[in-house]
Amino acid sequence: MASMQEQNWDLESGDCIQKETSSSSQTPSSSILSSSFLRRRPNQERPPVGMFKQFLNNLRLVFLGTKLCVLIPAIPLAILGQCYGFMTRQQWIFALSLLGLAPLAERMSFLTEQIAYFTGPTVGGLLNATCGNATELILALFALRERKILVLKYSLLGSVLSNLLLVLGSSLFLGGLANLKMEQTFDRKQADVNSLLLLLGLLCHVLPLIFGNSIEPQLLDDMDQNSVVWLSRTSGILMLVAYGAYLFFQLRTHRQFFEAEGEDEDELSENEAVIGFWSAFIWLVAMTIIVAILSEYVVGTIEAASDSWKISVSFISLILLPIVGNAAEHAGSVIFALKNKLDITLGVALGSATQISMFVVPVSVIVAWTMGIPMDLDFGLLETSCLGFSIILTAFTLQDGNSHYIKGVVLCLSYAVIAACFFFHKMPAGESLYQR
Amino acid sequence: MASNAETWLLENGNLKCLSKEMRHGVRTAHNMSSSSLRKKSEIALVSKVPYRFVRDFLANLQEVILGTKLSVLFLAIPFAIAAQCNHFGRPWVFALSLLGLTPLAERVSFLTEQIAMYTGPTVGGLLNATCGNATELIIAILALVQHKVDVVKYSLLGSVLSNLLLVLGTSLFCGGLANVTKEQKFDRKQSDVNSMLLLLGLLCHLLPLMLKYSRNSSDVFALETTVVSLSRVSCILMLIAYLAYLVFQLWTHRQFFEAQEDEDEDGDGIAEETPVIGFWSGFAWLAGMTGVIALLSEYVVATIEAASDTWGLSVSFISLILLPIVGNAAEHAGAIIFAFKNKLDISLGVALGSASQISMFVLPLTVIVAWIIGINMDLDFNLLETGSLALSIIITAFALQDGTSHYMKGLVLLLCYVVIGACFFVSRSPPNQDPANVVDFGMKSSAHGILRV
Repeated sequence: MASMQEQNWDLESGDCIQKETSSSSQTPSSSILSSSFLRRRPNQERPPVGMFKQFLNNLRLVFLGTKLCVLIPAIPLAILGQCYGFMTRQQWIFALSLLGLAPLAERMSFLTEQIAYFTGPTVGGLLNATCGNATELILALFALRERKILVLKYSLLGSVLSNLLLVLGSSLFLGGLANLKMEQTFDRKQADVNSLLLLLGLLCHVLPLIFGNSIEPQLLDDMDQNSVVWLSRTSGILMLVAYGAYLFFQLRTHRQFFEAEGEDEDELSENEAVIGFWSAFIWLVAMTIIVAILSEYVVGTIEAASDSWKISVSFISLILLPIVGNAAEHAGSVIFALKNKLDITLGVALGSATQISMFVVPVSVIVAWTMGIPMDLDFGLLETSCLGFSIILTAFTLQDGNSHYIKGVVLCLSYAVIAACFFFHKMPAGESLYQR
Repeated sequence: MASNAETWLLENGNLKCLSKEMRHGVRTAHNMSSSSLRKKSEIALVSKVPYRFVRDFLANLQEVILGTKLSVLFLAIPFAIAAQCNHFGRPWVFALSLLGLTPLAERVSFLTEQIAMYTGPTVGGLLNATCGNATELIIAILALVQHKVDVVKYSLLGSVLSNLLLVLGTSLFCGGLANVTKEQKFDRKQSDVNSMLLLLGLLCHLLPLMLKYSRNSSDVFALETTVVSLSRVSCILMLIAYLAYLVFQLWTHRQFFEAQEDEDEDGDGIAEETPVIGFWSGFAWLAGMTGVIALLSEYVVATIEAASDTWGLSVSFISLILLPIVGNAAEHAGAIIFAFKNKLDISLGVALGSASQISMFVLPLTVIVAWIIGINMDLDFNLLETGSLALSIIITAFALQDGTSHYMKGLVLLLCYVVIGACFFVSRSPPNQDPANVVDFGMKSSAHGILRV
C-alpha cells in the first residue's frame, strides 16, 4: 500500500519517484519532530487519481493539516481590512496580522520538512537552519526597510529571550510535573554547544555597549559612533562564521549529538512526504509572500496598536511578537517534554535561540549595511543585561544534565520578571523608534 | 530515659504516644545543626523539688533557658532592658540588645523544632521555612515601621551575604582542615536548586538597578514609580517561586533534602528525637520569646545611629556585617560542627537554605508589608551592594557545582566576605543622599579610613 500511495502522489509532478526503504531510516531533526505534533494525521484513504481531486487533497493537507488552522481566516480579514479600509482602527489590523502569522509559521516549517524528505537530511537540516525562523527574519527585514530599528532590535532580542526562558521554562516545568516519579536526563553536550554560541553572541552585544558607554557623552563624536557601527558589522561577519561552523558541526561531523532519540512508532511513522516536491515548493513560496504581507502590516501598524492599547512599543516587540512567532515550536516543545523526551525539547528551544542570535541578527546587520543604515549591535544597557542574565541562567540550569520542575519554574518566573520590567518601563515621549 | 519523656508529656494532661514516623520525621538540616548547641538536661537537680507542678515548671524552664551553651548570653537581656529604661548610654543598649538576640534566635529554632515533632514533618518543615529566620524578619519589619528603609535593605542583604560567604566559607574551611585526608562530597542537586532561586532573586534586584542607569530613563518621579511597581510585582513572583520551592522540598522531592542517615551516629546531638517539652508550653515559650525578640529588635533599630556615631562605623557596615553575624551565630556554629564531622549536606542545607529563605521569602514579604503600610520600598540596592550580591552568588554557585569540597574553597569564600566587609567598612554611604553618590570611596589614608555617616 505504501508504494502505491507514493506513486499516486508523484503523478502530479509527472514523474514516478522510487522511494528506497533505506531513506526512511533518516532520523528527523528536533524541530521537525516538534511541530509534527500539531499536525493531524492525513486521511489514509486515497481518492481515485484525478488532478482536481489531487489538488483538493493537497489544499486540505496544507491548510487544514494543523490544529492552528482556525487562525487562518485571520489572514484574509487582515488583508481585506488593510486594502479596503474596512477597519479604520489600525490596531485591529495589527492583531489580525499577528494571529494570522501563527499558523503560517507552523505551515512553513511543515513544508520545509516535506521538502527535506526529498533533498536528504543534510540539505534538509540546512533548510531548517535558514528557514526555521523565517517569520522572525522577514519581520526583521521589514522593520529594517521602514527604518524602525528599535522594533527590529527588540523583536529579535525578545525572540531569543522567549526561546531561552519561556519555551524552555514551560517545557521543563510541565515535563517535570508530568514525570514527577521519573528521572529526567538529557545529553548536555548539545546544550553546552548552544550555550557557547550564545555567549559569543552576548560578547558581540556587550562590546559595542561598553564601547559606547565608556566615553563621556559630550565627547562622543561621529567617529566613535561610526566605530561602534563598524565593530558591529565585523562582529556580524564573525557571528556568521561561527554559525557556519556550527552547522558543519551539527549536520556533518557530530550529528550524533543532535540526533533525536529512538522513535516511537506511534507518532513518527509518517516518514515519507505527503505532498510532492514541487507542490511543496510552490506552497512555500506562496506562504512566504503572505508572511511578508502580514509582516508589513504588523510593522506598519505597531505604533497605532501601542497607542490605543496603552502598552509601549518595546513591550509589544519584545514580548507579544515573539510569543506569536514561536507559538508552534512552543507547543511542540511542551508536548515532547511531557513525554520525557527532553533532548528534542532542548534542541528546539536552544537551537532556535542560537539561530536567531547567530544568524538572523548578523544577517540583519549585513542587510542594513547594504542598505546604508547604520545599525549596530548595541541593544541598550537594560536589554543587554537581560540577555546576559538569561544566557547565564539557562547555561547554569542545563549544565548538570537532568531536570525537574523547579528549573522550569525559575526560568518562567525570570521571563515574567523581565516582561514586567518592560511593561512598566515607558519610553519618554521624545525617543522615537527610528533612532538607535 | 523514655520515662522522662513521659514525665514531660504528662504536663499536657494526656499521654501522647508519638508514632515512630513523627519521631524520625523532622530531621532537616536546620534542626540537626542547631541540635549541636544543646545540652542534655540534668534532671537530677530538679527532682529534689517537692511539688510536682513546680518541679515540672522548673524543669521546663531549665530545658528552655539553660538548654544551650549560649545561655550565658541570656543575662544580657535584663541588662539591656534596664539600660533602656534608665537611659544609660545608647551604644550600650545597642550592644546588650545584640548580645541578647543571639541566644534568643537559637532558642526560637529549638522551640520550632520541638513543636514540629508534634505536628509532623511537613508542617514542621513549613514552620521552619517561615520562622527559621524570625529574627531577621522581625528586625526588618521594625526598621520598616520606623522608616529606616536603608537599614532594612542592608540587614537583609548582609544576611544573605553572611550565609553564602561567611557561614559556608568557615564551614568548608574548618571542615576541610579537619578532614584533610578524606574526600568530602555532597549532593549537588540541593545546592543547584538553591543557586537557581538565588539567581532569580538577583535578577529581581538587577532590573530596577538597570532601569535607573538605562539611557531611556525619563524624569525622576516616573522612574521611581516604575521601579517601585516593578519591585512589587517581582516580589509577588519571588513568593510564588518560594512556594514552589517549598512544595518541591517538603513534598515531591524530599529525597534531595533529607539529611544523611549514618550508621555510626554518635548519640551526642542527634539521638534526642522525642520532644522534651509539651506542645502548649513550647507554643507559649515561642510566643514569649518572639515578644522579647521584638523588644530587643526595637532597641537595636532605635539606637543604631547612636552606636554608629559613637563607634565610628557607618550604619551600612553595622547593618550589613554586625547584625547578621549576631543573628546567624547559632546556625553558624552548627554548620561548622557538622562540617567537622564531614556531613557537608547538612552544612549546605543550613547555609544555602537560609540564604534562599531570606532572599525569596523575608525580603519580598518586607516589600509587601511596606506596600501595605504605604512606604515606597523597592528592590534597588544600589550598584555596589548588587554587585557584591551578584559576585557572591556566582562564586558560591561555581564553588559548589562539582559536588566536592576542600579547605581552599572555604578559604576563598571567607576571604571574599572579608573583602566585602572591608569595602563597606571604608565606604561612606549616607542614607539620605542621592543614591548615585553611594559609590564613593573617600579614603584618603589608612589612618582616616574610618569614615562616619
